Amino acid sequence: MTAYPELMGIWAVCITWSALFLTAVSIYLYMDSRKSRKQGTHAMSRFRFVRDFVFVWVLLGLLGLYIVSIDRRSSIVFASGNLVVEAMLIAYTLKNRPTKGPETEQGAHS
Amino acid sequence: MGNCEIRGGCDTPLSKQKVQDLRKDYWSIRPTDAYGALETSELGLSEQEAQQRIETYGYNELPEKGLSWTQVLLRQFKNPVSGILFASAIVAGFFGQLQQSIAILAMILLSAVLGFYNEYNAEKTVRALRQSVSVKAVVTREGRPSEIDARLVVPGDLVTVYVGDVAPADLRIVQCKELQVNEAVLTGESFPVEKTSEGLDLQRPTPQQLTNYLFMGTVVQHGSGRGVVVSTGRHTEFGSISTSLAESRPETEFQRGVRKYGTMLISLTMALVIGIFVLNTAVGHPMIDSLLFSLAVAVGLVPELMPAIVTISLSQGARVMAKKQVVVKRLVSIEDFGNMDALCTDKTGTLTSGKIVLQDYWSLGKARDARILHYALLCNSAVTGEKITGNPMDAAIWEYAIANEIEGEIKSYVSVDEVPFDYQRRMMSTVVRKDGELTLVTKGAPESVLSKCKYAETDGKSGSIDSAQKLIDAKLAEYSGAGYRSLAVACKTIDAKNSYSVEDEANLTLLGFLIFTDPPKKDAEQAIAQLKKMGVDVKILTGDNELVAVKICEELKIPVKRVIRGPELTQMSSSEIRSAVEEGTIFARITPEQKLDVIKALRANGHVVGFMGDGVNDAPALHEADVGISVDSAVDVSKGAADIVLLEKDLSVLADGIEEGRKIFANTIKYILMGTSSNFGNMFSAAAASIFLPFLPMLPMQILFMNLLYDVSNMTLPSDNVDEEYTKWPRRWDIGFVRKFTLFFGPFSSLYDFLTFGIMLFIFGASASVFHSGWFVESFWTEVLVIFVIRTRRIPFVTSRPGKWLTVLTLSAVAFGTILPFTILGDFLGFAPLPAQYWVLLILMVATYLFLVDAGKVFFYKICKF
Repeated sequence: MTAYPELMGIWAVCITWSALFLTAVSIYLYMDSRKSRKQGTHAMSRFRFVRDFVFVWVLLGLLGLYIVSIDRRSSIVFASGNLVVEAMLIAYTLKNRPTKGPETEQGAHS
Repeated sequence: MGNCEIRGGCDTPLSKQKVQDLRKDYWSIRPTDAYGALETSELGLSEQEAQQRIETYGYNELPEKGLSWTQVLLRQFKNPVSGILFASAIVAGFFGQLQQSIAILAMILLSAVLGFYNEYNAEKTVRALRQSVSVKAVVTREGRPSEIDARLVVPGDLVTVYVGDVAPADLRIVQCKELQVNEAVLTGESFPVEKTSEGLDLQRPTPQQLTNYLFMGTVVQHGSGRGVVVSTGRHTEFGSISTSLAESRPETEFQRGVRKYGTMLISLTMALVIGIFVLNTAVGHPMIDSLLFSLAVAVGLVPELMPAIVTISLSQGARVMAKKQVVVKRLVSIEDFGNMDALCTDKTGTLTSGKIVLQDYWSLGKARDARILHYALLCNSAVTGEKITGNPMDAAIWEYAIANEIEGEIKSYVSVDEVPFDYQRRMMSTVVRKDGELTLVTKGAPESVLSKCKYAETDGKSGSIDSAQKLIDAKLAEYSGAGYRSLAVACKTIDAKNSYSVEDEANLTLLGFLIFTDPPKKDAEQAIAQLKKMGVDVKILTGDNELVAVKICEELKIPVKRVIRGPELTQMSSSEIRSAVEEGTIFARITPEQKLDVIKALRANGHVVGFMGDGVNDAPALHEADVGISVDSAVDVSKGAADIVLLEKDLSVLADGIEEGRKIFANTIKYILMGTSSNFGNMFSAAAASIFLPFLPMLPMQILFMNLLYDVSNMTLPSDNVDEEYTKWPRRWDIGFVRKFTLFFGPFSSLYDFLTFGIMLFIFGASASVFHSGWFVESFWTEVLVIFVIRTRRIPFVTSRPGKWLTVLTLSAVAFGTILPFTILGDFLGFAPLPAQYWVLLILMVATYLFLVDAGKVFFYKICKF
């Protein structure tokens, strides 16, 4: 017997909406930053776009995992999915982060 | 002598009424009558009487504002955060929710008490430190002159002033010798005013007309004098002016930032509260419940402890800086000190030692003539003793002689007579006898002495001055171009007579020149290099000529982009000045008003401007700058107007202070970014969930409690470690960045809140109280643990370690939040124990959340710079 079955739909809408809102904010900030830089200095390639948005792809993947695992009421799917994503994110973090912190704005442009 | 005992000084107490009338008519009486009128004598007061007068009239100091504990306490409530919370408490109380109202008031009180405790202690420390920045005065008591703290000067004291001294109080001059005083601080007049000791026949005179008075804060530029103290502290002319100076302080960059942040917070809160209330009412929830819930969300959004955390950060910073001999007089200036990107500095006394030294001397021939030094020592107005005082160039000659052990070489000379220095002649003469022969020695400004010379001596041979003129002109131009000051020394054999006069200063033989300089402070070059490395542009603002300023820049390795002179600035429009200040490195021959213009223009261009100065004329600029910095050797007025006083001559403390300011700013910004974004995310999901859930996602009291616990966990944030890159460059308040940060990181929190709602509802089929507990724990874990991710741009714990106390307190708060649902307090708040399986899912979920935020952080900082 599942509790609150009538709320499943609206819950899925809410969690999807928050993930899509975050994606939209990311795209907005990304485009805004490109606009504020000198036009033409960096041609935007598809590869670059895909690479820059890795965390968004992960986010959308997680959204799918969460909706599916909760829809199936499966703690196992939920737990194993999280572990896989965590491993991926650790690898991404270690690969993409300089050992020293990035420069602040003035430092980067000086 | 009036009613005074001459021996041992005057012991008669001065009536209180008399002090209030002190300045009334002392200008009209004769100097000898001034002693009696002020109930003192030529021997000064006795120590006992002076002590009594301190008790009666108080210390000679100006009133300091904002130090009473009630004022400090009230200040804790004067911020937008408290305003929002007060409004929420009143509304909750009005609708009968006393518990909620009391909880909100408790939060306000907690924040206020924490803020008060830190700020009041900091104020006390600052007051104690301020007292260590003391000004001295030469006071004669019981017939003995001694140097005392100017605070201890009392009405009736006999004060002696020399060149360079600042009058410690308002004095009626009883004795003076060629006394000239700069009264710019009172009158704005930059030319010195000649003083007299004679009585004046004036009715209702203005301070400018009182030429037999010496006013507190004015600087002796020439000569010396002695006066009886007429009034002290706030009764002085300067006392009344300084009160108004302190009140009109412009808003600093940091204060502007906090104000803008408050405005942003209020708009965000108002929008959410109205939105939640309208939506909840629209979906059929009771109106009062909806209002109370929306108020709880508003409270949840507000970083209650922000004022307290800012105060703790600032007072901790002030303590650290005090250990480095930097007195922070105004706490709020620390962050601006760190964010400063343009430092305007006076030259003399700040970059240079402010003390003239004799660099060298030269004669026209190949060999240097030692008589130049001997004669300069004989023809000298400096007073030697334990301390060498008087004209700074004459004092420098003596210091050079003592350092090189040549002062003994003039013992064979006997001084016969002297023709003193005056500003018209710009030279002085002395008649000396050696082996029965009389010599008139003249020393003074080269052009003045040269005009009196007929001959010049080269390698012991005397010849016409005309033949040496070319060489002299070339040499003088060379030294002047290199920023040195010169004095010429000439002499002639003279016949014995009763007295000598300026008429005897003729047909002299030029011996040579003395070369003086005001050398840069030993560590100034290193300090300037450090500032450059830290992104602080140094500009020199000086009343001195451009040649001297350029020489100092060369010595300190400051690249000079453009030299702008005062007269040029006068011709410029406001927009031209704004453009010129960006290019200019040296602003030479400028007036105090022009210093102010330069600072205003830099601020208008968006710079956070520091000004470092030590003179009376620097006070307005120190007051106008975001950060006014003064040095211990500065005049009292300058130290009074400054926010920060460097007690050590060592300028390297500047860089330390800037670094400390940047650390404090970084930790304040961390709190604001973390608090605003995670609160926004949580409250946003609470608002959304309140619309579709059959019960409130969290009770108002639970929201308030979580918020309080979160804020407490942040209490040690001011002591957190700061990554090197945050202190490399000056940073600014950027509300646009805070907004972007909130918009980007807030939804992460919302996403995981919704996930928790799903787990609680669909996996565990939770009741309202279990749901509340589940969300409380998840929300609290994510909100608190994300500190470790957000506090750095590096890899948390791997390449950036958090502060020890931050780690301890944060993990303790997490532990407390975790066990809370199992406790009596949890029961009281409406929580229920959670199923064991939930904890496993929670750990996995929170770990994914933290890694995802970290990946998002990499993306965010790639595109949003701060």
